[in-house]
Amino acid sequence: MKKRLLVLWLLLVAGLLVFTACGSDDGTVDSDNGGDSDTTEGQTEKPDEPVTLTFYSEDGSEKTFDDPVAQKITEATGVILEMDYPVGGSDETIPLMIGSGDYPDLIFAKGDLGMLIDAGGVIKLDDLIEERGDNLKAMYGDQLDRLRNSIDDPSIYQVGTYGVHDQPLETSGTFQIQLDVLRELGYPEITTLEEFEDALTQYVEKYPEINGEKTLPLSLLGSDWRWLITVGNPAGFAGGFPDDGQWSVDTNTGETVYKFLEPEYREYFKWLNGMNAKGLLDPESFTHTYDTYISKLSSGRVLSVADQDWNITDARYALIDAGMEERTFAPLPVTLGEEYVHQGLKDYGFAGGWGIAISSTCEYPELAFDFLDWMASEEAQILINWGIEGEHYEIVDGERVLFEEVRNSLNTDADYSKESGVGYYIYPFPNWGTAAVDSNGQSITVNTREQVIENQLDVEKEVLDEYGMELWIDWFPQQDELEQSNHGAAYNFSIPAGSDIQVIQQRADDITETRITQAVLADPSEFDDLWDAMLVELEEAGVDKLNEEMTGLTQDILKLWSGEVE
Amino acid sequence: MKAFTYIIKVTKLERNPVYKREREKMSDNLAPVSQQVGRPVAPTIGQTGKKGNKPQYSPGEKSFWKKVKNQKALIFMSLPFVIWLIIFRYVPVFGWTMAFQDYKPQTPFFEQEWVGFKHFRDLFNEQTFYRALENTLGMGILGLIFGTLAAILFALLLNEMRFNKFKKFTQTVSYLPHFVSWVIVANIVITMLSISGPVNNLLMSIGIIDNPINFMARPNMFWGVVTAAEVWKSTGWNAIIYFAAMAGIDPQLYEAAKVDGASRWRQMWHITLPSIRPVIIVLLILNIGNLINIGFEKQMLLGNNIVSERALVIDLYALNYGIGMFRYSFGTAIGIFKSVISVVLILIANTFARKIGEGRVF
Repeated sequence: MKKRLLVLWLLLVAGLLVFTACGSDDGTVDSDNGGDSDTTEGQTEKPDEPVTLTFYSEDGSEKTFDDPVAQKITEATGVILEMDYPVGGSDETIPLMIGSGDYPDLIFAKGDLGMLIDAGGVIKLDDLIEERGDNLKAMYGDQLDRLRNSIDDPSIYQVGTYGVHDQPLETSGTFQIQLDVLRELGYPEITTLEEFEDALTQYVEKYPEINGEKTLPLSLLGSDWRWLITVGNPAGFAGGFPDDGQWSVDTNTGETVYKFLEPEYREYFKWLNGMNAKGLLDPESFTHTYDTYISKLSSGRVLSVADQDWNITDARYALIDAGMEERTFAPLPVTLGEEYVHQGLKDYGFAGGWGIAISSTCEYPELAFDFLDWMASEEAQILINWGIEGEHYEIVDGERVLFEEVRNSLNTDADYSKESGVGYYIYPFPNWGTAAVDSNGQSITVNTREQVIENQLDVEKEVLDEYGMELWIDWFPQQDELEQSNHGAAYNFSIPAGSDIQVIQQRADDITETRITQAVLADPSEFDDLWDAMLVELEEAGVDKLNEEMTGLTQDILKLWSGEVE
Repeated sequence: MKAFTYIIKVTKLERNPVYKREREKMSDNLAPVSQQVGRPVAPTIGQTGKKGNKPQYSPGEKSFWKKVKNQKALIFMSLPFVIWLIIFRYVPVFGWTMAFQDYKPQTPFFEQEWVGFKHFRDLFNEQTFYRALENTLGMGILGLIFGTLAAILFALLLNEMRFNKFKKFTQTVSYLPHFVSWVIVANIVITMLSISGPVNNLLMSIGIIDNPINFMARPNMFWGVVTAAEVWKSTGWNAIIYFAAMAGIDPQLYEAAKVDGASRWRQMWHITLPSIRPVIIVLLILNIGNLINIGFEKQMLLGNNIVSERALVIDLYALNYGIGMFRYSFGTAIGIFKSVISVVLILIANTFARKIGEGRVF
């Protein structure tokens, strides 16, 4: 036995040695790669043969780079993108990428960029922007500071994602109610939760069944990560908070608090608890899957939702397809009470934070950068927003006009943008916002006020007319009444990997998702006790420390963005 | 020596207590059992044939090289597997060092910062971890008990069936769910158990309940739902091995019992079950070792925010709080902890099996 054990141990040790040897080999290879990045000097012209760059997008989907717009991009830049995306919305892709050291050329990592920076997986872009980033410089202008990473490392690692100079023409993420409810009830004014509840109660009394199935006054989707979207965030909107992810931020002092500690949230969930007790909340709101939720919405029997537009587009198209246009949803500026101001149209400024980075293992960093820079040019922006002249739009009296069928398809066919490429390459690449104009003074994006009106369904126009509005946003407190955010949006902060913030926040999120859900579904008499118990639990999980550290982070951002750091 | 062979002893019929007992019971005027006795009752795992027939020689009697020469064909055959074992089972253990470092990817091994047991201390100070452990063991034990019982019961019933075609058909159908992905199973379960789903309709129509039960929103029911889904999915598959063991029972035992006037229940109880006992025990030991490795797909797919405190299992915890947060070291610490628990469990189970007599793994 001893002998055999000895042999085993020897083998084990031999194996370990081989392993370590391999490990150190890898290290040297990596540093070699970093060395030969400056093969070309100055302005690289586009290569003779198109070069394939791999591109990982956290928000990507299955897609090949061969639509008409993509072909134009390749023509102009000599770049073919090979697009990769996470399977099943995985959080682990970036950590695994770092673990293997195997990076795509371009990476859109969203909030995980910090990890890539720590691991040396992405390169600094400051010098490249200085030397050859004319288009990017023109696009970002004085907002360039907002691209900077952190106060300790004020370099730029990424560009893009959010529109520069955005002026929202549509809201998203608010309460939304079926057009038919507004119509049936004689176009009531709905700006508070109370009025909202009344409207639902009245309608459901009138029509307990829709298309032969039970009417569901309000349905949420709280069974997976979308809990944050349909349960957590609407609470903040109702409380008059802007969207700062899981945070509540004082944009002047940088004071940041974990948002569920704010009293407004308690009030909102108490209301939701009441809705559940009165049978106005879909009892399956926290158990059904996304597919079931969408199919419920598509059947037309859900009167209202609290959701982002992008989460329910499939249902919208299905309703339009089935000829139930009056069952599509209208956004409402609903808050807890008259004294709260809805922040739906808030100007966050250019949000920074997220963007596309170039990896350290990219063989053509200059080409990749030129590609990103070209995407910021006026020519590229028109191409990605409008498509190709003569194919997707024409110029009438010097103005760009989308062809009728293109606009229709964009509005009603969920796959059109993916197939044609029109509008597909805007997010998360560098892009101009809805308020930006080109050198002829025309809007760069297709979403002009006129276009949005043009896009409205007939029923929608009819209802808006009754209210005397042109657009739904006319119902909301206007942008100039709202304070501008100095810190962008807190959900865009890149939080240091493995830091206390990250761990405590995960713990706090786990607690709130479970406890709030239980509190909402509980008997109304138990709500307060459950909520207090949750606050105690949060305290034990270290939420004070979380607030403190997050405040520090926000204050750093405020300092960084004010341009004081160089 | 025994402890390191990992090979199950061949259980010959001569050594089978069932056989002995039955034989004593047999009346003398029956013909004595003849030569077929060499047939093993239980399928044996990892039997090479070499061990069972190995002549007894004391160490040092033959030189090492002579032995190698004698067995070179066997060594040659087993070599690929030994290499596989070393590369994929032993070399990765080197990664355990991560648990004692503040591991940073893409940094050479010798430049990592060593932190001792910091990550283990973090782990044991974490309340959530104990919840995850409780859930893992709870669902593991429930799954083990009900999974094994259901499989044995199913195999027993199927074994008693006389209509052969139907038997084959049932067996085939019964293990089909094993090949269905958990994603699909979870969706089926959620739909079945939803408020307007078939289960609630059935319960209401036969008057057991007045109002529909929202099964997926009851934290206390979650373990049960997972166990039920698991049993539904794997009973047929797990029964195969018991079924095979039953097929290997000497029919003469049944004949003898019949002559003695034993009913079918008696036959099941006194012949079938004791004969497959070694298989049951071996499988139980192996499964106990895997108690903590119940995976996380079921819990992740079936779980939601209401039941999450009952649905959090160690693997999910390691994913969310370890790799998902870039804390490789912390994740590795969880992995080591799991391995230690597994080894302890398997040792306990094996000792227990040795105490009661037979069928141990090593």
